Amino acid sequence: MRDNVKSGALTEVTFYILLALHAPRHGYAVMQFIQEKTGGRLSLGAGTLYGALNALQGKGWISPWGDGSGRKKEYLITPAGRAAAEQELERLKGLADTAADIMGIWES
Amino acid sequence: MGNVMTRKYYRFFGSFLTAQERWLNKMADRGCRLVRTEKLLYEFEGCAPGQVQYRMEFIGGKSKLSAAQYRSFLEDMGYRVFYKNINLNYSVGKVRLRPWAEKGGRIATNSTTFNRELLIVEKVNDGKPFELHSTYEDRIKYCRSLRAAWLFLFAMSVVLGILARAWVGGFFAVFSLVPLALYQLELIRLGKKARTREW
Repeated sequence: MRDNVKSGALTEVTFYILLALHAPRHGYAVMQFIQEKTGGRLSLGAGTLYGALNALQGKGWISPWGDGSGRKKEYLITPAGRAAAEQELERLKGLADTAADIMGIWES
Repeated sequence: MGNVMTRKYYRFFGSFLTAQERWLNKMADRGCRLVRTEKLLYEFEGCAPGQVQYRMEFIGGKSKLSAAQYRSFLEDMGYRVFYKNINLNYSVGKVRLRPWAEKGGRIATNSTTFNRELLIVEKVNDGKPFELHSTYEDRIKYCRSLRAAWLFLFAMSVVLGILARAWVGGFFAVFSLVPLALYQLELIRLGKKARTREW
């Protein structure tokens, strides 16, 4: 993950994974969620997803969910992950507002 | 599988990953789906033409545990996965040093990662794109693992070639320069893209 710590900017992949894991999901369901929400614009490779899930688990933003009795490993976002996602939403709102002002679109 | 007709092909692609991937996909287009691999053997059963797609991945830099975890993750994604050897080596007590591998994978033996350097990943075609690595950052990481293996082979060949004054070393040095250069160019290309784009 090349997440910029100082500015708090997340990569799009990171942010979408955090969004997907607001409910417990296994890898395949995360991939489906992202494809669905982006209309196929962002199609994540399984290897990329695997690396990202491990990195986010290492940061403590997601953790394995359930008692492990399910056949597939599921993950869920942690409070720290939620905080990071909320901060990112604020950042994106600010960015979108600035862009709209300067580019003169979305004006009502 | 007892009464299913299978067809056996004997091929050796060594480190030519793209050639192996292309051949498997050509077989799939002709209606052949992989059921088993051995050192030289590829055994296929019939399927609808184009029903499946293949991707190769080099995992020689992984430890035994992380290779197994990655494999089971891919299987959970709904893919069929086969291990494949990159060398053609039939010895039993093989021990090979891989300083370029991750921790836990630097001493490869027959019971760990030796002869399991590659994964063949099969996906049932659903019309959606099939790539294992999609972001530039992740593609760079994967490309670096390939470059590291070739860089080591190149360095070893140069050292052995000079020390032993053997033409074999020189041959391997020149031979390994080609993929080394290709992966280096790919890394430069990906690095440029990654400056402004995530994927």
